[in-house]
Amino acid sequence: MPDHKDITPPELIKDRGSLHPINHMKDSIMELLISFGFEIVDGPEIETEEFNFDMLNIKKSHPARQMHDTFYVENKSNLLRTHTSPVQIRGMLEKKPPLAFISGGKVYRKDDDATHLPMFHQVEGIYVDENVSFAQLKDLIYKIIHSLFGDDVELRFRPSYFPFTEPSAEVDILSKEGKWLEILGCGIVNPVVLDNCNIDSSAYSGLAFGLGVERIAMLKHGVTDIREFYKSNLDFLSQFK
Amino acid sequence: MKIAYKHLVQDIEENPTIEQISDSLFQLGHEHEIDGGIFDMEFTPNRGDCLSLNGLLRDLAVFYTIDLNQEIYNEELNELQLDFENLSKNTCPKISFLKLEIDQVPEIYKDSLADYFLDLSLNKNNFFTDISNYLSYETGQPTHCYDASKINSKLVFHEIEKNEEFETLLDKKITLTGKNSVFSLNNEVINLAGVVGGKSTSCSINTKTVFVECAFFQPEAIIGKSVKYDIQSEASHKFERGVDPDCHDRVLRRFIKLVSENANIKDVSIISYKYKDNQSTQIPINTSKINQIIGINISEKEYLNHLLKLGFVVEEGFIEVPSFRSDVKTQNDLAEEVSRVLGYDNIAKSEISIPKKERTNHKGIESKLKYFLLDNGFYEVINPPFVSLSSEEAIKVDNPLDSNRKFLRTNITNSLLENLLFNERRQKDSIKLFEISDVYLSGSGVNKKRKLSIIASGRVGLNFEDFSKKINTKYLIALFQEILPNATLDFKIIPRESLDTKIKNEIVSLEIDIKNISNDVINYKEISKHPQDFIQYKPISEHPSSFKDISYLIKDFNKVQELENLLLNYQNEFIKNIYIFDYFKNDKKEEIKIGFRFIFQSKKATLKSEQIELIYNEIIQKSLKIKGIDIPGL
Repeated sequence: MPDHKDITPPELIKDRGSLHPINHMKDSIMELLISFGFEIVDGPEIETEEFNFDMLNIKKSHPARQMHDTFYVENKSNLLRTHTSPVQIRGMLEKKPPLAFISGGKVYRKDDDATHLPMFHQVEGIYVDENVSFAQLKDLIYKIIHSLFGDDVELRFRPSYFPFTEPSAEVDILSKEGKWLEILGCGIVNPVVLDNCNIDSSAYSGLAFGLGVERIAMLKHGVTDIREFYKSNLDFLSQFK
Repeated sequence: MKIAYKHLVQDIEENPTIEQISDSLFQLGHEHEIDGGIFDMEFTPNRGDCLSLNGLLRDLAVFYTIDLNQEIYNEELNELQLDFENLSKNTCPKISFLKLEIDQVPEIYKDSLADYFLDLSLNKNNFFTDISNYLSYETGQPTHCYDASKINSKLVFHEIEKNEEFETLLDKKITLTGKNSVFSLNNEVINLAGVVGGKSTSCSINTKTVFVECAFFQPEAIIGKSVKYDIQSEASHKFERGVDPDCHDRVLRRFIKLVSENANIKDVSIISYKYKDNQSTQIPINTSKINQIIGINISEKEYLNHLLKLGFVVEEGFIEVPSFRSDVKTQNDLAEEVSRVLGYDNIAKSEISIPKKERTNHKGIESKLKYFLLDNGFYEVINPPFVSLSSEEAIKVDNPLDSNRKFLRTNITNSLLENLLFNERRQKDSIKLFEISDVYLSGSGVNKKRKLSIIASGRVGLNFEDFSKKINTKYLIALFQEILPNATLDFKIIPRESLDTKIKNEIVSLEIDIKNISNDVINYKEISKHPQDFIQYKPISEHPSSFKDISYLIKDFNKVQELENLLLNYQNEFIKNIYIFDYFKNDKKEEIKIGFRFIFQSKKATLKSEQIELIYNEIIQKSLKIKGIDIPGL
């Protein structure tokens, strides 16, 4: 019979909090890309049209430049960045190639329904060096997708259109249910963009890619409604620890 | 845009199946769904030329033998006498008009026109509009039909910038605002160029004489109009993406041919206005550049052969881009053309090796703060920046989603307060939240501040040590001493009087500019290990939860562990959480008091008290089978 005085009290379970699943996913993706050789650059969420559009070869006629897609602020003098690409423009203006940048964070589009939110998160990367090719881009994208979804996942590349890359591609993965799911956009940096950043496009070429963090997080965690991420419901958040 | 498989395949010699065409279209970048025998094509931002039967066939020519020689009217045409003035030639550098009179409006359509309506299950409108719609489907060039009897004075194309009422041929009344390119008659707008025509001059089922307008509009003049005025317009989709500026003669001659297949033409005349020569794009042949961009090694012969199949013209030393491909201008564009023909998935990977940089710790202070907060039970939240309340420093959104989101927040605390009240309404009695975010303030330019904000209320924790302790300023000051021993932190108590809540717990908040404390943060070694695997989320219940407590008195200390094992592992679909909220060992009396809290919640409905009582009694019965334990007051 044990001595009464020696009885061990119950385990004291301290409730740990959790990182927000979107920030956790964003950080995980960024960590992965850092391991490939990319370095982080940061930039503001309030941007100019020049950095958000002009420098990226997004012409005035592009749908994204219309008032219905972009939030403008301060009497149209600035806007809320619609993607994290302007951060890379800032990075390319500061440094000379070879360079490999990633940027991640909040972006904004004037959209609010069951599948689109006015604020969401992106991680984008750019690599500029001599003789960067689409075949190398494919290698990188395979490495990213296999790291995120496992080596067995099947993926496909589809031609697409982005003003800042040419050729451009969208990449899908095959779900367990046999459905192709769009995962990321990528391409060879349009030489116009390099020239805009004072990088000699006849000597250098680049590759770029961008991922929607919410999309990846939904797939990885099995969340079906994107709005759940931003209700700040402790029943939801406490599952991610 | 819907395209019938039947219409595509009739011009393809190899007679491919719908699946084969579907695969070819995907490889070429034409995303679509298949519904029966119909391809529902997605609109791409840059390939207006492919929003048509002929456009897709031109691309499919890389895989199949295509015959694109639809018949056109080849007779000589009289010049149309038209009183027309173009006051915005930059917006519309090319425009043609056709006047056509028939003796009788046909009741039944023939051949391709009949197939179009039948195969795509479309409703007919009137004869000339039906021809126009079919022609747009076939060629990709939108045309607009005016009832010629209603065009009785000078037709003017111009840009207006005034508010004007306009009734569309779809019976929708809109007010034109801002800059718009329009056609006017007697100073009255009769057509919103490239988007939708007006009711006043539209054709009817009795129209026998038509004016057909066939124009090239600069995409910049058209873009966004259909969304702005909420008008479904396939024409605007095409003009926005760019149409072939050199197709007018062929398209209008095809119009005449289609009319002649269905009715007797009494009179026809045509006029074309060309204000600017369309310079064809020429790109030097540079196979090694194409190979470098893609990372392949194809011969010049193979390269040029691919382009020829897509309709490009190879001249000595350069490639001439066809007029329907306004999207192709550079070597990179040509590289994309070749990649599409080869198939993106058929291009072999080439090992990439990015030079590794010396790693810098990008996490820094924020990371320390985050892990400190996580270890102490705080949950990270992310809130959108849009708020309804203005303040002197708030940045105004020019085009907000609604009046509740007109400004950017100047602080994070208000967002966290909403999060806290949201969770209190969901029966949470220990709430600790934080958010780290940039906050943007107006002043001289835009000022960015990186802020940490926390909010907390209720119990310190849901365990027997912290359950009876309440979160207050004193608790938080003591807590933050651990990581910010030298900082002066301005914790605030948020009064509950103005809040819509009956809960009385103190709400404590803190908002700090991270820059201001960056020198004060001491090293913190995190305890929490964040999961490496990604947790599969279980859908949460929207129904209210409730709780029941059971307190035991235990004399036989051997039974404590047994009771814990039984209760903490108790399984029931309606039990959401179980924890020990009270534990006291009385050495004098040689007894232990231990209290368990059970949280009940259903995923499907609000639980009734009888349902909870049933589970509660079952737990009591099972636990009391353990000898030597008692429930005082039962």
